[in-house]
Amino acid sequence: MRSGIRPQEHWRAKRFRYRLEVLRCSSCGTVNMTPRRVCRRCRSTSLVPERLPERARLLAFTEVKSTTDIHEETAPYLVGLLEFEDGTRIVAQLTDVDYEELRPGMEMEAVVRKIAQDGESGVIVYGFKFRPVIA
Amino acid sequence: MRTVHVAGAGYTKVSEHWERSLTELAAEAALAAIRDAGVERVDAIYLGNATAEITSHQIGISAIVSEELGLSGVPAIRIECGEASGMAAFVQAHAAVSSGLVEVALVVGAEKLSDLMPEEYNTVYTMTLPHETMGFAGITPAAVAALLYRIYTERYEVPQEFVAQFPVLMHRNAKGVPHAQFPFEVKLEDVLSSPYVAPPLRRLETTAPCDGAAALVLVSGDSLGSVRSGSVTRVGGVSLRTDYVSPFDREDPLFVSSVALSVEEVLLRSGIDRNDVDVLEVHDSFSIMAPLILESAGFAPRGRSGLLLKDGSYDLNGELPINTFGGLKARGHPFGATALYQLAELHLQLTGRAGKNQVEKARSGLAISTSGLGAISGAAVLLGGDGA
Repeated sequence: MRSGIRPQEHWRAKRFRYRLEVLRCSSCGTVNMTPRRVCRRCRSTSLVPERLPERARLLAFTEVKSTTDIHEETAPYLVGLLEFEDGTRIVAQLTDVDYEELRPGMEMEAVVRKIAQDGESGVIVYGFKFRPVIA
Repeated sequence: MRTVHVAGAGYTKVSEHWERSLTELAAEAALAAIRDAGVERVDAIYLGNATAEITSHQIGISAIVSEELGLSGVPAIRIECGEASGMAAFVQAHAAVSSGLVEVALVVGAEKLSDLMPEEYNTVYTMTLPHETMGFAGITPAAVAALLYRIYTERYEVPQEFVAQFPVLMHRNAKGVPHAQFPFEVKLEDVLSSPYVAPPLRRLETTAPCDGAAALVLVSGDSLGSVRSGSVTRVGGVSLRTDYVSPFDREDPLFVSSVALSVEEVLLRSGIDRNDVDVLEVHDSFSIMAPLILESAGFAPRGRSGLLLKDGSYDLNGELPINTFGGLKARGHPFGATALYQLAELHLQLTGRAGKNQVEKARSGLAISTSGLGAISGAAVLLGGDGA
C-alpha cells in the first residue's frame, strides 16, 4: 500500500501550504486553517482570508525517526510547535538547522520547501517549513 | 430508557496473528462472547473497526462478519471512530438496546494491523490527525505526543521518569496475562534506554502494531431473564465527545476536553462519582497520554499523576487500579478492538473472574477510549455486584 498523493487534493490545499493563507473569523478572531463555511469556534460565517505572519516563535520540538510512506525517504526530520504573535499555533517541519541548535523561544521564519514525493515519477508536494531567523 | 447489561465477553490474544484474517479474529471473539453470555439469539451486530479497507481490502465488512458467524440476515453495522471505534460501537449498541429497538446486541471490535509494513502502519496511524494541515507534512501521532510530553514535563517541572514509569506499570500488570501482547515486565531503565521514536518519546513508551478482537453481548433488562449467563454487569452509562482534532488548537493542549466531558457525562448518567470508581481503564497509546487522561478526567491534580503512580495509587492493590491487564501498552492496542478489551477486562473484574489481576471488591469500572490524542473520546461505566 502507498497512500499516494493526488494532484487535486494538493491543489485544493495550496493556499495554506504555499502561502500560509488562513480564514480569520471576524467575530471571534479564531484562525481556521482550511477552507470552510463557518468558524470552528463560534460558527460565524464572516471568515476573511489572511496570511499568517512569516515569523513565529518555537515552543517545542522533536525529531521524527520513523514516519509515513511518503515521508520515509526524508526521515529523520525535525518537527516544531510554533506560535505566531496572535497566539495561533502550528506544527511544521523545521529545516536548515540541527537538532542540537534548537532552543525553545527561538524566532523562526517560514520558507517553501519540498515536503514529500510520491515515488520517482509521482507528485512532489511543496509546502512551508520553518528555519531559524539569522540575525 | 431500559437498563442495559453486559451478559458475556470474549476476546482473542492480542498478537501478530499471521495465520488468521480480520474476519476470523472477529468471529473468534464474538463466538466466545455469545457462549459466555449463553444467548440463543443476536438481534444486531455493531462492529468497531478503523482500517478494514486498508488492511483487509474490504468495505462493507459488517456483512462479512455476520456471514462468518452464521448470522447473515441480522442487521450489522461497522462503526469507524479511529482508535475509539470500539467505544463508538459500544455507545451505538447501548443506544439501540436501551431504546427498545434491540433486545440482544453483539458488539465486536476487531483490527488487523500486523500485515502492514512499519511505514504503512505509521501512515494509517497518522490518519487520526488532520491530513490537510498535519499529515501531509509528516507530522505523526508520535511527533505530536513528543511535543505534548515536552510541554508537560516543562510546565509541571517533573522528571521524564514520572511519565516513563507508566509503561512499567502496564507491563507489570500484563505479566502472565494470556491475552496480552507483551505479558512480561520491563524496568524503568529499559524504557529510558530504548531508542527514541521522537525525543523525548522512546520506543517502549509507544504501542506496537498488532491484531486482536474483543466482543461483548449486551442484553436489555427486559430480556435478562431469558439469558443463561452467570456473570452479568450493568452499563451505568455511556458518552462520546469530540474536540478540535489538533491538540494545539485546543485552549490548553495538555487538557483533553473530550475526555473531561465524556467522563463528567458518564458519571452523571451512572449516578456515581469519581470516588466510587474501583477500576479505571485509560487510553495509554503513548506514555504521556496516561497522565493527560487521568488529569483531564479529574482523577489526579494537574501534573501530579506521576507522583500518585510512584506512591502506588494506581497499582492493582492501590487506591485506583488502572489498566489492570496491561492497558494499550502491554495488553496491546488493536485500534477498533481496544475499547472492547477495556470493557471486557472491566467485566471480568466486576464479575470476580480477573484471576491473579483481581481487584478486591471491585463494583464500579470506568473505561476511557480516545482517538487521535483526544479528537474523539468515549467513556463507559460498568457496575457489578448489587448494581448489576
